[in-house]
Amino acid sequence: MLDPSGMNWPDLVTLAQRGNVDAIGALYDQHHAALFRYLFSRLGERQTAEDLTGDVFMRMLTALPHYQPSQTPFRAWLYRIARNRLIDHYRKEGPHTPVPLPQAEEQQDHTEDLGLLADQKMTTERALAALSQLEATQREVVALRFLSGLSLQEVAETLEKSENAIKALQHRGLAALRQALAQDQVLS
Amino acid sequence: MNQMNDGLQERLSRLEAGEPLEVVLHGLPEAEANLVKLAESLRKMPYPVPTDSAMAAQRKQLLHTAQERKIMTTQPKAGLTSRPWVWAAGLIGSLFVCALAVAGFTGAMGLGLFRGGSLEAPNANSGILLGAQGLVEIKAPEGEWTLAHNGQTIVAGQHLRTSVLSGVTLAFYDGSQMHLGPQTEISVDTLDARRTFGPRTILLTQWLGQTQNDVSHSNNSASRYEVTTPSGTGAAKGTSFAVWVFTTFVRFDVDDGTVAVTNLDVTVIVLEGQSTIIKIGQPPSDPVFSLSGEGEVQAIGTTWKIGGRSFLTNADTLISGDPQVGDWVSFEGRVLSNGTYFLDQITLVRHSIDNKFSFVGTVEAIGGDSWTISGRAVRVDELTGIQTGIEVGDSVIVEGGLANDGTFWASNISLAGEDASGLAFSFTGLVESMGDAAWSVSGISVTVGAETQIADGIEIGDIVNVTGQIAESGEWQAQSITPAEESSSEFQFSGKVEDTNPWKVAGISFETTEQTAIEEGIQVGDLVKVEGLILADGTWQATEITRIDEPLRFEFVGDVESLDPWVVAGVDLTVDDKTQIEEGIAVGDTVKVEGRILEDGTWLAEEITLAEEGLGCTNVPVVVESVEDGQITLADGQVISLDQVGEVEGDLKVASVIIIQTCVQADGSIVIVSIIVIYQLDELPTALPTSEGATGQKVTICHLPSGDEDKAHTLVVDESAVPAHLAHGDTLGACP
Repeated sequence: MLDPSGMNWPDLVTLAQRGNVDAIGALYDQHHAALFRYLFSRLGERQTAEDLTGDVFMRMLTALPHYQPSQTPFRAWLYRIARNRLIDHYRKEGPHTPVPLPQAEEQQDHTEDLGLLADQKMTTERALAALSQLEATQREVVALRFLSGLSLQEVAETLEKSENAIKALQHRGLAALRQALAQDQVLS
Repeated sequence: MNQMNDGLQERLSRLEAGEPLEVVLHGLPEAEANLVKLAESLRKMPYPVPTDSAMAAQRKQLLHTAQERKIMTTQPKAGLTSRPWVWAAGLIGSLFVCALAVAGFTGAMGLGLFRGGSLEAPNANSGILLGAQGLVEIKAPEGEWTLAHNGQTIVAGQHLRTSVLSGVTLAFYDGSQMHLGPQTEISVDTLDARRTFGPRTILLTQWLGQTQNDVSHSNNSASRYEVTTPSGTGAAKGTSFAVWVFTTFVRFDVDDGTVAVTNLDVTVIVLEGQSTIIKIGQPPSDPVFSLSGEGEVQAIGTTWKIGGRSFLTNADTLISGDPQVGDWVSFEGRVLSNGTYFLDQITLVRHSIDNKFSFVGTVEAIGGDSWTISGRAVRVDELTGIQTGIEVGDSVIVEGGLANDGTFWASNISLAGEDASGLAFSFTGLVESMGDAAWSVSGISVTVGAETQIADGIEIGDIVNVTGQIAESGEWQAQSITPAEESSSEFQFSGKVEDTNPWKVAGISFETTEQTAIEEGIQVGDLVKVEGLILADGTWQATEITRIDEPLRFEFVGDVESLDPWVVAGVDLTVDDKTQIEEGIAVGDTVKVEGRILEDGTWLAEEITLAEEGLGCTNVPVVVESVEDGQITLADGQVISLDQVGEVEGDLKVASVIIIQTCVQADGSIVIVSIIVIYQLDELPTALPTSEGATGQKVTICHLPSGDEDKAHTLVVDESAVPAHLAHGDTLGACP
């Protein structure tokens, strides 16, 4: 049984490329939750986000033999697959449906986070709803950076843009999100 | 604005690095601080998570698919090899027939005999042994040869060798692999198989035998993967190639990419699908395209006729298994510069099916030179293998040949009990260990005891015949162990089917191929007889799996002597309204008869079919000169209409190098089964490559005007005209 702890991602991915099932399982374990968050933020539906998460990993499996670690960081490559899967989904299912506000998504009790959230009177539902109102590329950058935890470089690789462009989109995206949340607060 | 973007990113980076929020916010204008706080809130927010059940199902599905793909990758469908033109033919599955079947090595690669596990080389300076079968030994510098095992590491300076019926994979840290075939020795000269931060350097020497090298791609242009032989060196980057070291020459075959082959300061670039040969003390030959295939032998001599085509041979041609006219062989060779086909290797696949029979019957009388089994007289002699303990009344399996006078000659008679216990087995394999109570022979553990007859002088590494019985407990109890002839590597045993995917019978796992004849409807729990071959690397490959749950069945091939009543090979047959008889069978035809022996001794035929089969298939590489209007014109002048081709794989263009697989049917007609594009040249060659002694030669051919054999006559033509003659059906050599 492979112990992926302490293994760097190039080694893990190399093993996965050679068909090592433990390594493939480790990649799933490491990335599925963040990938689901990204897809959920774009789709607003749990079931569809779950289905697409599974699809993305199956596509990853198919594409792994052709992946070249020296050219693209793994997470950026994986999220490119996810974006392409989303595009396919929209092509078949029609345009993006905004996240309903508020949505009855059950939440875990993260009391340690509430202090931070309280002063902004922000909940997950409100944040996702506000995010859905952003311009598409800003929304992508904010979701990839802060929901999925990709680095600036990884986001740049995923969206195939320069790091400076991502910095600008990140700044504008956060500002627009804050404005959307403020507007929502006024309206509510 | 850029400063603001950079400033925000700089603060976010500090947060990501673990600095407390308060510290990060210190000194920031309020507007910017709010953005940083918002980012931090987004990060820490409790988002929905996928349900446990969905996650578990997804993960399971993912790993299941990964496992399946891994199996498909490491155990390709039988008949596949890493060489696309052979893969296309799908013919190579039964390539290994005898222990020294050198030509079979490539087939073994594709049959997944050198499968690796999840083990990896621990570091760049070590290789690891995977998939070892048979006898594999390792030696340190100045040290002694010791047994090697899977997972053992090897470092620079060490030697590795395999015995007959043996093979192993040497896997490197960067993913490159060298697969060693039987009777092969290599040494690791330099080993730095790093994946990153500098060039990879893997330098190996192949002293003997055959290797298949799969070289991982490296982005570093200074990386090296080189195999040096006594007669030259092959250097490759991200490619796949085979190296064969023979006594008098070395051959490099390239499956994928390009390989630079050098000797005596002369370097040739060998492309995908090409081969080069280095004779002792000579530079590499001009690369030429390889050919391969299988077929029935129709003529033997300097010119062999196999599967309806003629091939030149010479004293260097390696012929294994002593094939004769009527036998089925595999072959590998080259297309010479004058368009003629030259064979480097011919290997017996199986003897002619004519005159072969087997049936299950009841012993009615046992005599010195003749037995009566279910009403038939069966001749026996000193060559007949007779299982001990057979008595009158026993149900037995009889195998052998039909003599010209129609009598049966038994090569083997064994008990055919209905229970799984006491079932006979026999096989030929490599002695891997010799214990007091059990031996390991080609991976099979057989128990030995006081009653086991063991020939004197047998040692580890010897090839032996083992016969015995499978006990109720599943034990393989040896009755005799004797030295085997080199060419006999067959096995047969009977037992209950434990699994059919992959196959496992009586505790023994074995491979099947597309050529394996498997009786329809066999299920787990059925009692079956398995016959097959032990391949050159020790893997068991079944050629036939048949159900033996009906004790009185028969099956044989013979000539039809009469249709009413039916008599085949001297046997009176009964047919009824359920007997399936292939249309068009006439007296004199060779047929295969299957049926059962009724209680009154009547031989009831259930199926009678023509036993003829195609004469064989050939795979020939050739360059496409033009493509238009559904037709392609080849460099040898042939014009092929694509609607007559069974399958076209790849993008056919001018200067494509393609493999054409043609098969000759039993009636002599030729079918183009497939065309596969294996390589795209930048432009059409301006002239065929030259080859020493080729230009201006006169060649003797048998000319068939309009393909009419009755008008055949011998011609001597300039070699430049040979391809055109061959294209319309003429054959090399004088007419018979």
